Amino acid sequence: MLSRVADSLYWMSRYLERAEHSARLLAVKLESTVEQSREDAEASWRRVVAALAAEGRAPIEPDYFAVTHELAFERLNEASLLASLSFARDNARQVREQLSVEVWENLNRLFLKLQPLAQDAGWSRNPARLFREILQDMHTLGGVTNSTLSHGEGWYFLELGRHIERAQLVCRLLDLHFGEARAVVPEAPKYADWLVLLKYCTAFEPYCKAHTVAISPEKIAEFLLFDPEFPHSVRFSIDRACEALVHVAPGAPPGRRAAVERLAGRLRASADFTEIDELMAGSIARYLADIADQCEQIHEAVYEAYITYGAETVL
Amino acid sequence: MQPLAVAADSPSVVPDRTAPFADYRLGAAYDEMFARDGSVRPPYAALVARLKSLPPEELHRRQQACETIFLHQGITFTVYSDKQATERIIPTDLLPRIVTAAEWERIEAGLKQRIQALNLFLRDIYGDGRVLKDGIIPRSLIYGSKHYRREMRGLQVAHGSYVNVCGTDLVRREDGAFVVLEDNLRVPSGVSYMLANRDVVRRAFPNLFRSQNVSPIEHYPRELLLTLRSLVPFQQDVSIAVLTPGVFNSAYFEHAFLARQMGVELVEGRDLLVNDNVVYARTTSGLKRIDVIYRRIDDDFIDPLIFRDDSALGVSGLFNAYRAGNVVIANALGTGVADDKAVYSYVPRLIRYYLSEEPILESVETFLCREPKSLSHVLARLDQLVVKAVGESGGYGMLVGPHASAAEREAFAARLKADPDNYIAQPTIQLSTAPTFAGDGIEPRHVDLRPFILRGEETVIVPGALTRVALSRGSLVVNSSQGGGSKDTWVLSA
Repeated sequence: MLSRVADSLYWMSRYLERAEHSARLLAVKLESTVEQSREDAEASWRRVVAALAAEGRAPIEPDYFAVTHELAFERLNEASLLASLSFARDNARQVREQLSVEVWENLNRLFLKLQPLAQDAGWSRNPARLFREILQDMHTLGGVTNSTLSHGEGWYFLELGRHIERAQLVCRLLDLHFGEARAVVPEAPKYADWLVLLKYCTAFEPYCKAHTVAISPEKIAEFLLFDPEFPHSVRFSIDRACEALVHVAPGAPPGRRAAVERLAGRLRASADFTEIDELMAGSIARYLADIADQCEQIHEAVYEAYITYGAETVL
Repeated sequence: MQPLAVAADSPSVVPDRTAPFADYRLGAAYDEMFARDGSVRPPYAALVARLKSLPPEELHRRQQACETIFLHQGITFTVYSDKQATERIIPTDLLPRIVTAAEWERIEAGLKQRIQALNLFLRDIYGDGRVLKDGIIPRSLIYGSKHYRREMRGLQVAHGSYVNVCGTDLVRREDGAFVVLEDNLRVPSGVSYMLANRDVVRRAFPNLFRSQNVSPIEHYPRELLLTLRSLVPFQQDVSIAVLTPGVFNSAYFEHAFLARQMGVELVEGRDLLVNDNVVYARTTSGLKRIDVIYRRIDDDFIDPLIFRDDSALGVSGLFNAYRAGNVVIANALGTGVADDKAVYSYVPRLIRYYLSEEPILESVETFLCREPKSLSHVLARLDQLVVKAVGESGGYGMLVGPHASAAEREAFAARLKADPDNYIAQPTIQLSTAPTFAGDGIEPRHVDLRPFILRGEETVIVPGALTRVALSRGSLVVNSSQGGGSKDTWVLSA
């Protein structure tokens, strides 16, 4: 696979994961706002803004329409849902010939549907429904990607991008509730906030199946970090990313693969040999930062080994 | 691509006063659907019957469905304005243009003959130069052409096929005969629209399509692949790539489309590198050798070491790898010398010279202003002729006599006298008209016809073409940048 193509597929997937994450946070937040007091709603909006990397950009005010617009449809905000989707589409266009017609059309259609919303505020009549619809479209896109693309090297680059991004996004959410970033919002999370956190990760029902609806912050942290079967847990994403790393660049010489494999092994070990008790005793902030950092290192190692390597090193 | 001019339309005739044809006015041009006496030409009878049976809003709906498919598939080109880039679809018209089996047979034979002669000509001028020694064509015309590549002298190309993909523009004269307007021997585009149009129009008129016995064209990508593969005859595994300038090129959709349909890699210049005269693509697993490059980049940009050194699209060292025989570039470099407007007028003579045959397809009568007798003829008839600069395309540097003001003609006459070698003149031609959906009803619009010819070891022409259509009433400009659109072309099988 061309290195440039791998690069585009990887980023297309990362941006799609970001867009889906934004859509889910906004859908859940807009649905839950109605049940909260003004102060509680404001605190949880602050967390959403911080989770979507828009601190200092999005106005925090009772006008959640303005906040939502900034997070979802503001083109000048490079972290907005629409910007992510647009970057994903630009990358997809670069590798149009590698994608199935179905994948391209679903992505393109979703983009064409959302693009006008940057200027047209008609969406504000029923915003929660809009974001549910977007999520539905993104799930369709995910399904179409799985069922119409060959699960070869390109697909594994998509997997890698998706899960490196997802692990970092979930770590960021956990950080806002357990770690350093907790300081962003002075108010401590309340019962409703814990429910919402689970829903941000589509984890509410799977969590209940595992632990019943008895909500405990510690159990939530354990579930979202270490559950091996739940697709939005950090552990799950790490496993999938590591599996993808086995399948990409099949012909690369062992020397170039070594650095990547060493980092992957270390990351997996971090997930395998950590106990929730010790984290809750105080080290969780450092742990979350370390996982995010290791994901970044893997990203750089993959680029170094397979994508931006100097031609003189292989001739 | 060149816009064409027409003489003023003669009084119009309306052959059928019922919907949706109430505004269908026949002019001086040959109409593809209605004969002069107002009767429907037989190949169009089924289409006319179908159109009459549809309520007008249904036509509208189907037209819109076609456009939505194009938009969703990303069959668009980007228009850059000051503030933002807008994507537009290339307008497609849902009414098919029909070519009969007999007409096609003649077109096909004529095009095969033409491409054979042009390839022999290219081999000759980059080889012995027999045609120049025999005085068939003036030396200065060849060596003075900005598309002549002396770097190609003495280089052997597989099967003598310099032009592997050719798009020849044909127009239908008032008498109904197809004549050649120009050859595109460099990097002709539009074949993806031929295929995409078929895809949407077949969906718009499924029953009609089935009943008409239309020749299939879906195998074009396969034929293209076989053509490219035949350029490396003695090798088992041939690695082929389509070289694109990138996503900002207006034909990017086509490059990606062809790569996907052929199942080969789509590469940009930055993906390739040359080491020891061998071309490699940078892949995740290391460097991969490339044997054949179907390039969609102009000669000038292909190798900054040999041609334009400001080109960021090409690959340094590619030309030397090509000369060393380690990679095939299709089309070969330097083919542009044979599709220049002055050389065009010699093609009938070239066909007789190389093949000892009479040309099957006529060309448009052309006056070379470099010949003093022709120059005075042209200057005396500037108000009736179209004058074109030899090396230009896309409608630049030309004068459409009947549509120009006296002042414009005078200014052009001065340029003509100053540099006669650079100009040719042709009589104005009436492009034929074909039924086209025009918002409310169906009206005639001027069309041309661009079939695509493939030549590797053999010559193959897929029975279909891109029909370009000038969408504004009376307009003859079929270029997509200037309001032109396209139509599906149905070649009926015998």
